[in-house]
Amino acid sequence: MKKKSLSDQIFVICNTIFMVAFVVITLYPVLNTLAISFNDGIDTVRGGIHLFPRKFTLQNYYTVLHKQNMVTGAYITVLRTVIGTLLALVANALLAFIVSRKRFLFKSQLSLFWVITMYVNGGLIPVFLLYKNLHLTGTFWVYVVPGAVSAFNMLVLRTYMVGLPDSLEESAQLDGAGYMTIFVKIISPLCKPVYATVALFVAVGQWNSWFDAMLYNRMSDKYTTLQYELMKLLSSVMQQSGSADSMRNSGNSITPASIRAAATIATMLPIVCLYPFLQRYFVTGLTIGGVKE
Amino acid sequence: MSRGKKKAKQKITWKEIKRQKVLLIWSAFFVIYGFIFYYLPLGGWIMAFQNYKPKDGMLHSKWIGLDKFKFLFSDASFIRVIRNTLAMGTINLVTSFLMAIIFAILLNEVKNVVGKKMVQTISYLPHFLSWIIVTGILHDALSSTGIVNEVLQKLGIVSSQINFFAHESYFWPIVAFSNLWKETGWNAIIYLAAITAIDPSLYEAASIDGAARWAKIRYITLPGIKPTIMILLLMNVGNVLNAGFEVQYILGNGLVQKVSQTIDIYVLNWGISQNDYSLGTAAGIFKSAVSIFLILLANRMAKRSGEESLF
Amino acid sequence: MKCKKLTALLLTAAMTASVLAGCGGDSAGDAGTSNTDGGSNEEAASGEDGNKDIIDFSMFIAMPGPEINDGNEIQEIIAQKTGVRVKETWLTGQTAAEAVGTIIAGGEYPDFIDGGDGQMALYDAGALVAWDDYLEKHPKLKEMYSDEEWDRFRQEDGKIYWANIFQNTYGESKATTHNDEAFWIQARVLAWDNYPEIKTLDQYFDLLERYAAANPTMEDGSEVIPYTILCEDWRYFCIENAGQFLAGYPNDGSVIVNTETMKIEDYNTSETTHRYFQKLNEEYQKGIVDHEFATQTYDEYIAKLSTGRVLGMCDQWWDFYGTVNDVFKQQGLDLEGCNYVPLGLTIDEGMENMWHTYGDTQNLANGVAVTTSCKDVDAAFQFLEDCLDQEIHDLRFWGVKDVDYQVDEDGLYYRTEEQRMQWANKEYQASHRCVYSYMPQYRGTSRDGKNAMNPEEQTSEFFSSLAQPLVDCFNAYGVTTYVEMIGSVEKETGPWFPMYSFSNNMTTETPGGVAWTKMGEVKHEWLPKVVMSDSFDSTWSDYMTAYEGCAPEDFLAEMQTELDRRASLAQ
Repeated sequence: MKKKSLSDQIFVICNTIFMVAFVVITLYPVLNTLAISFNDGIDTVRGGIHLFPRKFTLQNYYTVLHKQNMVTGAYITVLRTVIGTLLALVANALLAFIVSRKRFLFKSQLSLFWVITMYVNGGLIPVFLLYKNLHLTGTFWVYVVPGAVSAFNMLVLRTYMVGLPDSLEESAQLDGAGYMTIFVKIISPLCKPVYATVALFVAVGQWNSWFDAMLYNRMSDKYTTLQYELMKLLSSVMQQSGSADSMRNSGNSITPASIRAAATIATMLPIVCLYPFLQRYFVTGLTIGGVKE
Repeated sequence: MSRGKKKAKQKITWKEIKRQKVLLIWSAFFVIYGFIFYYLPLGGWIMAFQNYKPKDGMLHSKWIGLDKFKFLFSDASFIRVIRNTLAMGTINLVTSFLMAIIFAILLNEVKNVVGKKMVQTISYLPHFLSWIIVTGILHDALSSTGIVNEVLQKLGIVSSQINFFAHESYFWPIVAFSNLWKETGWNAIIYLAAITAIDPSLYEAASIDGAARWAKIRYITLPGIKPTIMILLLMNVGNVLNAGFEVQYILGNGLVQKVSQTIDIYVLNWGISQNDYSLGTAAGIFKSAVSIFLILLANRMAKRSGEESLF
Repeated sequence: MKCKKLTALLLTAAMTASVLAGCGGDSAGDAGTSNTDGGSNEEAASGEDGNKDIIDFSMFIAMPGPEINDGNEIQEIIAQKTGVRVKETWLTGQTAAEAVGTIIAGGEYPDFIDGGDGQMALYDAGALVAWDDYLEKHPKLKEMYSDEEWDRFRQEDGKIYWANIFQNTYGESKATTHNDEAFWIQARVLAWDNYPEIKTLDQYFDLLERYAAANPTMEDGSEVIPYTILCEDWRYFCIENAGQFLAGYPNDGSVIVNTETMKIEDYNTSETTHRYFQKLNEEYQKGIVDHEFATQTYDEYIAKLSTGRVLGMCDQWWDFYGTVNDVFKQQGLDLEGCNYVPLGLTIDEGMENMWHTYGDTQNLANGVAVTTSCKDVDAAFQFLEDCLDQEIHDLRFWGVKDVDYQVDEDGLYYRTEEQRMQWANKEYQASHRCVYSYMPQYRGTSRDGKNAMNPEEQTSEFFSSLAQPLVDCFNAYGVTTYVEMIGSVEKETGPWFPMYSFSNNMTTETPGGVAWTKMGEVKHEWLPKVVMSDSFDSTWSDYMTAYEGCAPEDFLAEMQTELDRRASLAQ
């Protein structure tokens, strides 16, 4: 304890204060959403809900969870999250591996080729036509194939791989290992933290997306997703709030705000639970020092 | 293209090609994939030079040359939305960047493992809230009877309530703050991952030398994550024109529309709501062109100074 | 699997489930991939093993709307009676034009479609089936409109491709609510002053001022807000268009049509509008107008109204009443007289007001259409016809007899309190109710001559929902409905009405369309500024300068051309 200098102590105190303040500010919108999700919808309209519900109800969750096709939606969403994440991880990692090889002949050109894709977009209709011609529309694969490689994730992975010591590759090559062996056996195990990061990014993106379901599987319930079902519910509630039915009805207390809150919390929970599993890769540093010497 | 000093120019020889056969085959696969899914749809850009009508499709719509571009650049309000977009894009870029890095570094300094995990989990939760929720809360907090006015009045900083959304000068900071609020924790994830790659023995050695916390951050942590910072910075430079749409759209109102409208909102008002695909496409091409120009410029600068570069 | 077999069977029969891709027909040349998956729509395959006769149609409606569950009870009853089941898909998270644009690009259509703003694009794309031959075969469908009205639906090629299904009254009108715009005031304010005659804007604000001075706070101590204005986004009509009504004109929306000269007039620059904003400015300075009005969002506005603190505002009924009335009921504020009643104000005394539109507004821009991909066009038109059958119509809007409504000895339909609650319950709606809300339908009087086509217009249902203070208020003024309360003059609107159906569809391709968009932007900015200004006159003239800079004359000229066209068409 004695070793701690005064400035270190001040630092720790300031840092703790900062973290507490940060948590309070950040947590507020989440808790507010939680409170609204448990509050009677009509009552919420009056405003003034902060951290606790005023008129407790489970109605909002009931409505959200009883929406038709919710089971199909959840199934497809889990499926696309798992398959999409695995596919994206493998593809991006492989591409990152290629462009991070110092000796690779076209590493600059290939990187540029992908960097550009981040800033160009053909537009809704051309993309739709493309997917239709590739027979992707009306299938599950439209969710996982088109976005499998993304320049952003690739660059994040590349940066990490570049930072690994060159000696790893060189010594493996001396042992006669090919590139694929180096990728699978040497590089990938060291990339766990960044793999976890990219997996999280992709998984969250897959979990939350609904626009593709609406666009490419509009008239079929077969490949509907959780978020698309919720979007449909939400837009129908919004529409209904102005309809004559609600006037005479005191039993119906569904409003867009309350449904949105319940839907947010309900879909947030499963994906947030994924985090602790990935977190251990971030919290503890990897020891690669031995190789570095 | 200028190359870094350290990297020797690689010669394309048969021997080298043979050696890299596996890599080349896979890159060919990735090039084909990228070409199909990202470059092929760019054929849609011809819509910007047409008076596109869904019934005619892209093959039979009338050609109008550069009319849509002329329309954009002759409109004073388009110039204004470019200014707004650039301004908000830059402010957001700088603030969210700094905040995420600071947060990641400071979080890394928390030695209590449970506390650290908890803070981190909480920090990225707002990412899952939609803009409409976040802006709703913000609007509430900044209203004349909201918490911010209450605190300011109690502290005697202001004498009468401030209507934050009625003044043009508050708008950009509010947008920047809402971005920070929602995304800081999420953005920090990459840096936290990067920090794990730093060799712990470096810290140990520094401790033995009696280095203070600040010194360790400055001489070990920051240089350790510098490549990541550089790459993200370069990438985001190309994104300054994507300053967003939802936040400005929801928080804006007639009184501040001169500073609140972004390119995306402009396209919505003029293009999409009037079924004018061509105008939207023209604006999109403009944005892409600016982005790519900025990226090339930034990348060149980074290379010149021997920093990490995108390509 | 069994499912697959059945799918194949259904496919060959070309009677497959309702999927965009599965509608075969014209797009037969297209690849089969999407067809296969379209056909395997499970619920089509399950459910109705014994009923091979029922055709499943698909429908896309370019508006957001409520989904109903598969196996919905009334949907099944209607399917048994008509042999048709329609699966509706609604707009989600896109604009109508965008959605229709992608559907056209894909080249495969649902059986029925209402393209909303994108309807014209569907016609242009040749995606719709002409109604002309079928109309003759289906008398009920034809009965929806007179020949003259049908003619208005004709497109450039002289044929009819769709019919709008809203705002169509059968027999005598049963309208009780004023669904349009008005200056609204809480019933308690009128009661406090012993139900005075309020005819002009000045009288209206005078009453608000006096009431607020005498009753500055609510029971819970919060201050009343005498008047607020919503000006968020497209809802800024609440501040923008009162000028046309105050001058005694109907809701043409973007312009005034002077019926004597048959000339388009601009209400934005009219003397009436000038006086209206001057008044608002004056009241703002006095603190009568909510100081936060310009920056409030729609949600905040509704929340504010829901507290009962807001005494009055100008708005369209449909824009606020749903949620607000629910909250009032829940909080007991309806019994305190917080409900709003409409006032038919004009700028000067002795003028006729035209706030309420009595006749049907025939919206020509969109409606239900049958597409060229439809698997059985004859059956599709037969179903449109069947929708207007009284029995089916009652099933759609009233529900099942003795379950959803009762019939008294005079043959009048009514609901018990329990049935009313049940009918409004969301779960029940999804599993039991099937309105087919974008299929042909009527307002007004049922074919039995007694009941209303739509329960909302049934007199007994209307009164059962009125709170006592509203009943007192209506009695005091000697009226029975909101429509009578606003007391608009019953004048036939011209064949050009409403002009907004033209301005809403303007594009940037014409100078008028460009001007129209610019005018909107300028007004969004300046109208609140004008109201909040410390020196009204100079701000108003700044506003006028900015407004003239948009070239409104381009817009007005195009409106004039359209007016002339519409007027000549009618002759």
